[in-house]
Formats: sequence, structure tokens, C-alpha cells
Amino acid sequence: MRTLTPTRPPAVETVSPAAPRRVKRRGRTVATWLLVGPYALFLAAFGLAPAGYALWTSFVHDGSFSGGRNWTAVFDDYRLGEAAGNVTTYLLLWLPVLLLTVLSLAFTLHARPGRATGALQLVYYLPGAVTGSAAALLWLFMVSPDSSPFGPLLRLMDVKTATDALSGGSLVAVLAVMGVAVHAGGWIVVLYGALTALPKDVLEAAQVDGASAWRTMWHVKLPMVRTYVAFVLISSFASGSQVFVEPTVLSTGAPGQISPTWSVNQLAYVYATQDGDFGKAAALSLTMLAVGLLAAWIVITRTRMYATDTR
Amino acid sequence: MTDAMTALSRGARALFLLGAAAFFGLPLLWLLLAPTRTADDLTTGSPLGFGSLGRVGDAWAHLMSYNDGEITLWIGNSVVYAAASVALALLLCVPAGYVLAKHDFAGRRTLLTLSIVTMILPPAALVLPLYLEMSAVNLAGTIWAVILPLSFYPFGVYLAFLHFQANLPDSLLDAARVDGASELRLFWSVALPLARPAIALIAFFGFVRCWTDFFLPFVMLSDDRTFTLQLGLMSLLQSTGAVNNSSGFADLDIHQPEAALAGLVACAPLMIGFVLAQRFLRTGLLAGAEKG
Repeated sequence: MRTLTPTRPPAVETVSPAAPRRVKRRGRTVATWLLVGPYALFLAAFGLAPAGYALWTSFVHDGSFSGGRNWTAVFDDYRLGEAAGNVTTYLLLWLPVLLLTVLSLAFTLHARPGRATGALQLVYYLPGAVTGSAAALLWLFMVSPDSSPFGPLLRLMDVKTATDALSGGSLVAVLAVMGVAVHAGGWIVVLYGALTALPKDVLEAAQVDGASAWRTMWHVKLPMVRTYVAFVLISSFASGSQVFVEPTVLSTGAPGQISPTWSVNQLAYVYATQDGDFGKAAALSLTMLAVGLLAAWIVITRTRMYATDTR
Repeated sequence: MTDAMTALSRGARALFLLGAAAFFGLPLLWLLLAPTRTADDLTTGSPLGFGSLGRVGDAWAHLMSYNDGEITLWIGNSVVYAAASVALALLLCVPAGYVLAKHDFAGRRTLLTLSIVTMILPPAALVLPLYLEMSAVNLAGTIWAVILPLSFYPFGVYLAFLHFQANLPDSLLDAARVDGASELRLFWSVALPLARPAIALIAFFGFVRCWTDFFLPFVMLSDDRTFTLQLGLMSLLQSTGAVNNSSGFADLDIHQPEAALAGLVACAPLMIGFVLAQRFLRTGLLAGAEKG
């Protein structure tokens, strides 16, 4: 790409040609750790320390070391199989639809940026801004055919009452649609931001070459934002496999219709809050972490996300 | 022929974007209208009916009747918590993201990997250990027990990392190095001015996280005068059974329209934050165009 010409930084220190290399390199190491050190400290204090403690608790039962007892208890729990099945179905439905929604909307917006682009992004983001009790209220009304603006659509799908929408196979579909509505907007903003930051000359060159909008998207833009897409994939897989808010929110609106242990993360929550069994909660949380990490590892190695020389 | 094709593709594009806008926008339109209506009208009236503006005032008065307007106190608390943790998170994330993207050093991959690990660790797994940690240093129950853990934001580090990796060419840094700029100076004078879009995104998503986080303040705070808005509203609406009528005491006039209004109050700052962040993103873009 063409190099940008920034305001030329004043020469604060003149490097004498005789300056030994080692001093320079040490200067860089000091600067590196000055810049990243504070974060590393917070990572240790508020990330690794509690995670390590959680790992330790997963091997403790009633105050004494108990080996893998918590782990086997978790894997023997009949509720885990059901929850894992629910979450798998949810992921299979939600993740592809989410990715497709995010990619298609971000690229369509970016193909011809106009005055309405910002406003549309705000609208796409709105459902994600509603949280807590208001979200419970909102979504319960959205799936009730008589009071929902989507009523005609729901009736078309043979949903006559909110109970219909929240029972059997339609529950997971409702949750997936809700999950897309809540999560897509934020990612559209991230991806659109990444697209607008791309160097203009490359995109212009593609236009001059007569590449169609579709080809430009597929062969120029998409490869250039692939690390962002990888990041969306890693984060979304993790948040989807740990789905918690959507089923919890719907069940506060319609108590008794959705199992309190519908998802794996909800089961971990029940262990921690109702049973007071933090060992089992920790073991299950770490299992979810392992699943998320496996996906992350696959994505990172496939996309060379960590490379310092993507250009 | 080609004119007809472009007209067609433009039409299809507009249809797609507006269809999506209807899908994402209708739920919020409903929520916006809900406080103007009565609880009965919400279930029996037309889905997008409008009641009266006077009802919004009534609904607000009902919310304010809870503990002498404690809701305003919660809003103030939430603003303080969020502002402090976002400021701290930016100070930590932006330099870290820059170094991880542009310096090759021992420990780089480890830091990136551990950041991913802590980013996708279920938050519920961290909350109890964090509480014990905060109790050990006598901070549990104070505002620091909320601010400090929330300012650790690996997601923000990744946003900064990806931004610098994609948009800050090595040649630019090398040119400044030849000019004799120190490494810290490089960050301050070369990287930071190009970081506007990343700063806007981190500030926005960090704000959303702090503003909507429920579980951490729920565990850390016990005095309802230190509650965040989310925490306060949850206790208010649950104790009055506004969302479902199965529980709660009914002497306060808090029902579904009040719950909807409370939700709107809680999400209004997020919309303001979104508009501000977008403005910041756009100005960053213009600056880049001038230079290019």
C-alpha cells in the first residue's frame, strides 16, 4: 500500500551511528513492557488468578481435595446431556444465520456508503441495547401473536399463542432469532468499521479493473478483513456455546415453560446458586472454556490471526 | 440494459437493508410505544398502538415512588462506574494492543493466548473467585470491586490489536525510527493518532459491557444505595412482579408499562454512546482520507 505521511515526529534523540545495537534493543524491550505491562498485571489479577482459583475449586469438594469427583459428577448429570443437545441445536441454527446476517449487512452497507448508513447501523444495534427485565417483557410480547408486531408472521408459522412459540422445537428457533437480533448489530459495527479503515487505493484499483461489486467483496474486501471475521467467529462460537441470557430472559417472562437448565451455562449457574456447589460449577465452566478454546485454536491456526506481518 | 440492471440491484439493496431495519427496529418501536399504553391495552390493543403521552409521565412517577426516587441515584452510580472503568480500560487496552500487533517480544503469543482464554471464559466462573479476591484486600462492597475487574477488558485489547495489525504499516514506524523517535514517542505520535476508530469501538463496547453488566455488581455490592441501574431495576421489578404477575407485592403501581419505561431509561445511554462513537469513527475516517 501507499505509505501515509504523518506529521514528522521531532527527532527527540539523535541516534549516533556508533550506538551499539544492544542498547537500542533493550530500549525497545523497556518500552514494550511499559506499554503492555499494566495490562499484563490486570490480566494476572482479574483474569488468571480467578481462573486459577476456579480450576482449583473444581478439584475440591466439601473443603478438601477430591480429585476428579466434581468432574465425574458433572458428566454423570442427566441434565448435561439434554442441555448440551439444546446448545448444539442452537449453535447450528444461530451461528450460520448470525454470520450470514452480519457479513451480508456489513458488506451491503459498505458497497455504497450513504447518509443513511449510520442510522441503519443504529437500528440494527437497537435490540442488543435492551437488557434485563425490559428484555424479558419485550421478547415475551414479541412471541405472543396477539400483541406482537410480528403477529401475522407468527400466525403464518402456525404459532397461535406464546405457549406454542416457547414449546417443543419452536423454542430453539425463537431463541436463535432472538440471539441474532441481539448480537448481530454490534458485529456489524465492528466489521463496517474495519471495512471503512481499509486503504482506499486498493479498493479503487479493483474498481478501475472493472471488478463487479460482488467480486470486489469476495476477492478483495473479505480477504482483507479476514482477521476480523476470525475474531467474530471465535467470540460468537464461545458466546453461543455459553448461551445464558436468552433462555433466562424468556423464562422470567414465561415461568415454568422453559427448563431452568435449558443450556449448559444455565446448568452451571444452577450448580452455583441453587446447590451452592462451586466445585461442580467451576468444572462445568472450564469444560465450556475448553470447547470454546478448541474452536478458537482451529480458527487462529487456519487464518494466521497472530501474524505480525499480515501485509 | 446495464442501467436497468443497476436500478434493479439498487432496489434490491434498499429492500434488503430496509427489511433488516424492520426486523431489528420493530421490537424497539414496540418498546418505545409501550409506556404510553396501559397494561391491558398492551395485551388486547393493536400491537403498535399509541396511548397517550400523559401515561409516560404517570409511569415515571410510579417508578420514582420506589424508595423516594432511588432510581436517580442508581443512574448516577452507573455513570460513575462506567466512566471510570472505560477510562481505565482504554489506558490499558490501546497501548497493549499496539505492542501486541507491532512488537515481536518474548511472551507476545502467551499474552495473546491468555487474553483469548480469559475473554471466552464463562464470566460466571470468574465472579466468585473475584469476590473472594476483593474480600481479601477489603474492597468487596466498594465501587472498586466493580470498577477494577471491569477495566480488565481482553476483548478491547483484541479490537486494538486487530486495528493496529491491519492499519498501521511497519514502514511508517520504521521511517519514524530512522528519524530517531523513541519507542514510546512512536506510540504517542504515530500510532495513537491513527487509533481513533479503535478507541471509539473500545470505548463504546466497554461502556455497553459496564452499563449492562449484572452479575458482577450483583455479587460485589450489598448496599442498595451503591447499586447500578441494572441491579436496582432488577430488584425493583422483581419485588413488584411487573413482568409476570406470579409474585411480588402490588401496593406499588408498577406494571408492564413501567417496566418498559425502565428498560428505555436503561438503554437510552447506550444509544447516545452509539451515536457519539459513530461520530468519532467518521472523523477518524476523514483524517485518514486527508492524509492519503
